[in-house]
Amino acid sequence: MTKASAKMKNPAKFLFVGALLGCLVSCGGKSGTSGSAGQQERTTFPRAETLYLAGFQWGAPNTFNPLIDQPAWPIYGPPFNLMYEPLVLYNTLSGKMDPLLASVHEQTADHISVIMNPAARWSDNKPLTAADVTFTFEIGKRFKSAPVSYVWDFVSKITVEKVADPAGGGGKELEKVTFHVNKEKENNQLALLNILKSFQILPSHVLEARLKALDGNFSELQKDSMDKDPVVSGPYNLHAYSPEKIILERRDAYWGNKALYGGRMPQPKYIIHPIYKSNDHFSIALQKGDLDVNSNFIPRIWLKFKSGVGTWFKDPPYFEPGSIPMFTINTTRYPLSDRNYRRAMAHAINYTNVKELAVSGYSPDLNPGLILPFGNEAAYFSAEDAAKYGAGHDLDRAKQVLADAGYTSIFKDGKLDHMENAKGEKVPTMRIRSPAGWSDWESIVKIAVKDLRAAGIDVREGFCDEGLYWQTLPTGNFDLMLQTPEASLSPALPWSRFKAVMASRNWKPEGEKMNENQGRYNSPKGADYNPRVDELIQIIPNLANEEAKKAAYRELNVIFMKDQPALPVVYRPEEFYDFSTKHWTNFATKDNPYAPPQLPCFGAGRNMLWEIKPVQ
Amino acid sequence: MLTNHPTLRYIGSRGIWYLATLIVAIAINFFLPRLGTANPVDVIMGKVASGLSTEAAKEKEEAYLKEFGLVETNNLGEIVRDSESHPIKASLLTQFGSYLWMTLQGDLGTSFLNYPKKVSTIVAEAVPWTLALQFPTIVLGWIIGNLIGALAAYKRGVVDGLFFPLSLLSCSIPFFAFGMLLVYQFAIIWEFFPATGGYANDVMQGFTWEFISSVAYHYTLPFLSIFPVLAGGMAIGMRSMAIYELGTDYIKYSQWLGIKESRIVLYVFRNAMLPQLTGLALSLGMMIGGALITELIFSYPGLGTAMLKAIEGNDYPMIQGCTLLIAITVLIANFTVDVLIGILDPRVKAGQAL
Repeated sequence: MTKASAKMKNPAKFLFVGALLGCLVSCGGKSGTSGSAGQQERTTFPRAETLYLAGFQWGAPNTFNPLIDQPAWPIYGPPFNLMYEPLVLYNTLSGKMDPLLASVHEQTADHISVIMNPAARWSDNKPLTAADVTFTFEIGKRFKSAPVSYVWDFVSKITVEKVADPAGGGGKELEKVTFHVNKEKENNQLALLNILKSFQILPSHVLEARLKALDGNFSELQKDSMDKDPVVSGPYNLHAYSPEKIILERRDAYWGNKALYGGRMPQPKYIIHPIYKSNDHFSIALQKGDLDVNSNFIPRIWLKFKSGVGTWFKDPPYFEPGSIPMFTINTTRYPLSDRNYRRAMAHAINYTNVKELAVSGYSPDLNPGLILPFGNEAAYFSAEDAAKYGAGHDLDRAKQVLADAGYTSIFKDGKLDHMENAKGEKVPTMRIRSPAGWSDWESIVKIAVKDLRAAGIDVREGFCDEGLYWQTLPTGNFDLMLQTPEASLSPALPWSRFKAVMASRNWKPEGEKMNENQGRYNSPKGADYNPRVDELIQIIPNLANEEAKKAAYRELNVIFMKDQPALPVVYRPEEFYDFSTKHWTNFATKDNPYAPPQLPCFGAGRNMLWEIKPVQ
Repeated sequence: MLTNHPTLRYIGSRGIWYLATLIVAIAINFFLPRLGTANPVDVIMGKVASGLSTEAAKEKEEAYLKEFGLVETNNLGEIVRDSESHPIKASLLTQFGSYLWMTLQGDLGTSFLNYPKKVSTIVAEAVPWTLALQFPTIVLGWIIGNLIGALAAYKRGVVDGLFFPLSLLSCSIPFFAFGMLLVYQFAIIWEFFPATGGYANDVMQGFTWEFISSVAYHYTLPFLSIFPVLAGGMAIGMRSMAIYELGTDYIKYSQWLGIKESRIVLYVFRNAMLPQLTGLALSLGMMIGGALITELIFSYPGLGTAMLKAIEGNDYPMIQGCTLLIAITVLIANFTVDVLIGILDPRVKAGQAL
């Protein structure tokens, strides 16, 4: 009985509240369960057997169908592998591909081949074979609206052959699947590697039958929510869901327990992803131990350490950085088209303030350029180039660059009023777009604007509705825009970041859509077009020689630093990774690095599920 | 014929007006979200287009436009294109026609942002929570607030001195601030009540003691964050109305006639109640959309956040579904109160009978 209804005297109102409660009960009951046949429905979940994990699902789950663009967790997002599994796992610590359904066998400029793991099984005990792999990718060829369809820009064909087990294995024959690089289109084996770790393999025997039942109507198949006892290959399956949470249950018969984890089972019997409506609630839940592992931004996390909260590093920056939020600059608009103006901006921003005040210090010091000076990218970073060509924070230098380029900043009462160029014309005010309400991003923009104006550069905040933000990003209808190109860690970095920021092969004028280089840098029709940029982006993926690759990256990074087509402002982790040790211990950390700093539902981060221990 | 039944005639004429209002509301619900330049497919594409080639992104975008009925299609289901092979956008009138037809059949469509989930499913999952939180709180707040207001006006003295400032205080505190204070003190510092959610995370929805007790436990703080604000506002309104009525000639006349005090209090109540009923109608009408802040403060389940996301992402069918529901609730609440006033206030019927 609710507190409100207990106070009621009128029986009609009792009835009404009763009816509402009945409604709540029935709505949830129906929408929620995955309907495992013959299984007793659980109503509560023992804490010692349940891992609470959050950060990937923000609204009510829409569908668990892997054939559409944005289904719910754990289908869509950083290649999740709890229900459906990709061929290989990307280990962000080693930079290597760890085996899963298959292992990488051969990698050349022409093809990548994998050997299928013969032990792999679906939850209906049918073997998971190369036929499932080809089916999964062929869907993209058969139906253009499938998320996998773009793969065929990178792959020309997929072939399967039987080979002898390379590891010996008593003369057993194994399936080898070869992905041939599409030389005519993207010609890029780096991206191909990325595809192998990103796409979950789907059960051909189930989906082909459903497709047949629907007379081949793929659009109808996409509308199936696939939440009733789905046939999966991963260690967990959907148990139930509601707008408040998604619950997965361990599959004790998971094939990988024996084949990959020495016969052990993952520790949590249930994984629950609660769906909160505000960032603060993740913070409260983690602190109280209601949440065990989380990937939402939590400010000043060190204050929670005494409540048993932990992070990858014990000390700043606490998280392993993996991406670069940056101001994308519309280089076709005056004065942003002026390289000197852009470089003056780069000198004006106090990156230490951005790091300390906007992102709680969760970033090492920023280095100029597009290459992370740590982790797997460090091999390509040159400190010498960064010092020589990069524009770091230096207010006097910023003013000097502006003055040399003929700009005058007019201050009134100590505040910047406007700017004039060498001809005495007023320079237009530039605005930085960022979605309203994304608090850490808002802080980044505010700090940058304050610094830029102090240096005499006429830039203002331009917070906008999130819908408008996504709409203007590809069309280029902005001055500056905060975004994080290539936010996920992948074996294609830092190449894919350069491509996302500088590639002008698909260059389109403002108003038409571009999905990379939205700042419209280096127009092929421009007078100062530098063909070397696209050339380097084109050749790097296929360079086999490490020295040549390093030299090419250095050259590209120097061009970026000289031209400054975007303004990197801070580093950010791929995903935040923090945990509470109130109910589970032995999460991976820098001192205990048995798994990378990823949540245990994607990449090699999943290994944690076999290693964490419940608190007795 | 209805001349002899002024109440029925009154209800009938109000009914016609409300029906007309509903039709206008449906049209506004449809056209208003589409007036802006933003397009729902852009929001989806912004999230899924990264890494796609221009050609692949265009194909995907067109698939979405077609699926959502935003472009013209021919009999074969192919997109109709102009001379430059750009898809021709479906005209607003065509879209409005299909929207009306579907609405009449009770189909609210498919949400764009939660594709392929039906709007009716999203609404059905969320509305019971919103109603369960808002309806009892509003009704209880109204009853208790009015009682306190009338008591304070009639008794004056110490009762008024105590309740009036308290009511003023409680209705002046913004309820989101009050909600946050409650969370901080009762959930974080003292840990008496849970800070978030409509029920515990380790409980499944169902007709079980665990679920029902968990709902009740989680209900306390959200209820307490809204109730005093509502009750305080009602008490102040009722108090001033009652004081006004107490000073009117008919009361003085009744007292002079020697009519019993309890009967006089009833007169006062009946007359002071009319504006309060309108207040109740407004509160009940707003309850569907009004729980957004409470939902955000407590991560409480409900329609508010679903609607906010729909508006941010231009999810037309979802916006339409929610605004239709709001329009219907507002109209039903107002209609009910109109009828009640018609019954309670003889002047209204008298006006109709003329």
